[in-house]
Amino acid sequence: MKLQLLLLSLLILMFCVPVGAQEDSAMVDSLAVDSLAALPVPAPVTDIGLSDLPNDHGHAVVVEWTPSTDDGSGLANVVGYQINYGLSKDGPLDSVGFVPSASGSYEHVGSKDENDRTYIPDHTDLYYRVDVKTVDGRLLVSAEVAGPVQSSGQWYNTGRTAVLIAVALFSFLTIFYVQQAKAGKELYIRPIGGIEAVDDAIGRATEMGRPILYVLGLGTAADVATIASFTILGRVAKRVAEYQTPIMVPTYDPIVMTVAQEVVKSSYMDAGRPDDYDEDSVHFVTQSQFAYVAAVNGMMLRERPATCVYMGKFFAESLLLAETGSVAGSIQISGTDEIAQIPFFIVACDYTLIGEELYAASAYLGREPKLLGSLKAQDWGKGLFVVLSIIGIILANFGVESFGALFEVAD
Amino acid sequence: MKRSTYLVFGGVVVLFALSWIFKSSVLEDGVYSNVWEAFKVTLAAFLTLAIFSFLYKDNPLYKFAEHLYVGISAAYWMCLAFWSTVVGNFIPRTFESLSAAFKQPYQPSSWDILGIPGNIIYIIPVLLGIMLLMRLSSKYGWLSRWPLAFIVGTTAGLNFVRYLRSDFVAQVSSTFVPLLGTPDSVSVWSSFDLNATGPVVALLSNWVIFIGVFSGLVYFFFSKEHTGWFGRTSKVGIWVLMITFGASFGYTVMGRISLLVGRITYLFGDWLGIVQS
Amino acid sequence: MENLGVIISLIIIFGGLAWLFWRSVQGREVERRIIFVFIFVAVAAPILFPITFEEKATPVVKSLFDKIESLPEKSKVLISFDYDPAMQPEVQPMANALSRHCLEKGHTVVFMCLWATGQSLLTATLESVIKPEFPELVDGTDYISVGYKAGNEGVLNVIVSDFIRMFPTDINGTPLDSTVIFQDIKSCADFDLILAVGGGRPGPKEWVLFVGDPAKVPIGVGVAAVVAPQLYPYYPRQVVGILGGVKGAAEYETELAAAHPRFDEVDKPGLRMMGPQTLAHMVIMAFIVIGNIAMFRARRKAE
Repeated sequence: MKLQLLLLSLLILMFCVPVGAQEDSAMVDSLAVDSLAALPVPAPVTDIGLSDLPNDHGHAVVVEWTPSTDDGSGLANVVGYQINYGLSKDGPLDSVGFVPSASGSYEHVGSKDENDRTYIPDHTDLYYRVDVKTVDGRLLVSAEVAGPVQSSGQWYNTGRTAVLIAVALFSFLTIFYVQQAKAGKELYIRPIGGIEAVDDAIGRATEMGRPILYVLGLGTAADVATIASFTILGRVAKRVAEYQTPIMVPTYDPIVMTVAQEVVKSSYMDAGRPDDYDEDSVHFVTQSQFAYVAAVNGMMLRERPATCVYMGKFFAESLLLAETGSVAGSIQISGTDEIAQIPFFIVACDYTLIGEELYAASAYLGREPKLLGSLKAQDWGKGLFVVLSIIGIILANFGVESFGALFEVAD
Repeated sequence: MKRSTYLVFGGVVVLFALSWIFKSSVLEDGVYSNVWEAFKVTLAAFLTLAIFSFLYKDNPLYKFAEHLYVGISAAYWMCLAFWSTVVGNFIPRTFESLSAAFKQPYQPSSWDILGIPGNIIYIIPVLLGIMLLMRLSSKYGWLSRWPLAFIVGTTAGLNFVRYLRSDFVAQVSSTFVPLLGTPDSVSVWSSFDLNATGPVVALLSNWVIFIGVFSGLVYFFFSKEHTGWFGRTSKVGIWVLMITFGASFGYTVMGRISLLVGRITYLFGDWLGIVQS
Repeated sequence: MENLGVIISLIIIFGGLAWLFWRSVQGREVERRIIFVFIFVAVAAPILFPITFEEKATPVVKSLFDKIESLPEKSKVLISFDYDPAMQPEVQPMANALSRHCLEKGHTVVFMCLWATGQSLLTATLESVIKPEFPELVDGTDYISVGYKAGNEGVLNVIVSDFIRMFPTDINGTPLDSTVIFQDIKSCADFDLILAVGGGRPGPKEWVLFVGDPAKVPIGVGVAAVVAPQLYPYYPRQVVGILGGVKGAAEYETELAAAHPRFDEVDKPGLRMMGPQTLAHMVIMAFIVIGNIAMFRARRKAE
């Protein structure tokens, strides 16, 4: 009997515990519900301000508001804010965005395509309402509908003023110095080592009776390095025409080939030897990088040029060219603005024009007013950079950050 | 050709055939795919070795691989240019029927000129391209100067503002670094922590940036002769440049060795099957 | 057996270097083909008898890793494959690692290429990494490939303001504006992060100039080693982080495996390549030292 009673009590106990737990959890759930229900309804947002998003192409509005007074007050009843928009104050207003609590602004950016569902029309009255979303998922719809506001595009982006000043300054300096050069004023350029070696190298080739190889690089006719190389090619071709030394100009780009043919042809004419010009001396090889260098390497090893000149834009093939030229026993003069390739040319070539020296060399040789003028403008630009840097560094040491902010370009 | 050359060629052909047969037998899947896959792998391996043979000396095998590469790459890029530019960019914007024929989605224009679809404007670059090809004609070659001028001008215009913004204006503000420590200088010098991310190393880095930028700019100043203090600063600049080029060289050596590792892994892995590829 | 192979290789290499040093000191010329053989052995030996070194992420790599880690789930990431098979050995490991990381974090990834040759390499990543390791992900919903478009910087100029105008469909021909992913994406400005993987032009630098700075989108780059030094001026304001060459790939793979142990067993080609890389570098450093000693001795003799 006692045993049965014990077993019965145990059974009842086993049954009661889960029920109790359920009751507890039910109690907890009901407590949670009760505590949610007990949360006060948050206050609505106030002071909704609407304005057109500045510095854009239109179809965008900035919505600002003062958050609910209950946001961040410790009541934890505000999850965030839902922004609604419509074309009429009386509705309908559709939800366009949601921001978390503590936020006080939202950029409503729409599409300019009329067929797009996110389209916002310009120069049209727009209305907005900001609702508070509570932690239990309820939406407190505020009564106030703000508006109207109209979006529009701006012609000028004030955030890019720093770039405008830089463009204007450089353009002025370039035009000013080009005019100075055209007026005949002597614009000094310091001597550049590699260029003086070009004449000696051409003389060497003539004495040895071997050709000169001129490589314009892998750039297009629009690249600055290739354009600078054309000027140097003109100078080399003129000397070559005078000394009657063969020249080989394998090209990578078909358009570069056509320009190079013009340059070499006119150099031969300037030297008074138009009949000596061989059109096949400037020829197209291929527009595949390593196939091009394989072909040029083959040319170097077969023809054994006395001088190899590499001026222009080079990439991974630079060391292949320079190394093969070294094996072929050529004197090598190079110049490129590709920073990654300059180290290879420095170690493998006899003379190297580093970066901007290539542009300076073409100005130095050609003496064209436009080239001289732009070089001078660049020098002024460098000077300006140094002055601004020194000012910025001094101010940075005193913790003044506002000067640096002037150079931030917003979009 | 010399007898030894015939022997070398013969040996290469025999080795190629043997490798192909052996590779076909070890690959899984069907017979046809085995043979074809084995041919591809063996050919790639032999062409790799043919190019490597240049390291010994120039030879007909290298020449063969070089010419094969030149020819195939020219044809490949020509086909690619047609399919990516003409079929990929031009036809979908201009011809609806051709777009369907090439299975490209037609992109109709959202505007029109007097009832003519706005896509007609894409004929202009085609005409410019044809004018560029006129260069091949001695009589009409002068026509190519116009599209060339357009290309140069457009590229310069597009790039001018971009490069000025990112490579000049943005870089100016990046050089505004404190050289005398934080405003609260005590925090920099009190502990003298040489941790790579600590304030002392950061300060030294700032000095390196300042000296490097300043002296490098002086080196590239062409309007004044490099004498006196200017010349000495310029010499510091060339030292900074050479150290930078050395670091860049080291990076590039790493890149080249990586390619060699990749090729040798291919030879040992995919071809010979003795390592995991 | 492997350890024995490593030891024998190291003995051969360093013994050879000692012989080379002695020969140079004596002023005798060294045939350049001997140098080639040294490099070959220095690279081949660690491939045959693997040597692995521990890698620790440097700050430039860690910052990119942390950026991807910190992005909330379902962030929109654009990964551009801008390289060719010539760069594949050093860039493909980082492309795979970045793709893995983004998908593991639950981000929505859009794949594209600015190089025609990048298309096949992108397909290799999709077939060998994404589909096998993430079979639960759906193409078109969790990730999408829009393929290649000719135009270089011209493509970037368009997609910075209107992505779909340049890429109306994905590589399967599905119109992009009908996909779930592109409901919220109109231009590059709508991406939370752009990862430019490659080297050359167009490449990471063009992404910074034409998209990152104008659209104010964070850009992370994974580049071939030769291009890496050019991107350091942009770090950290204009690029979030830089993976430079196979070293960067190895560091990222290590960091990824440490943070997500699921990838510990996955093949790490970047880390695997660091063994032969390190040995080859040591041999090259020895050559530089030996060469300079020989040069100075020769100069002194000449004087």
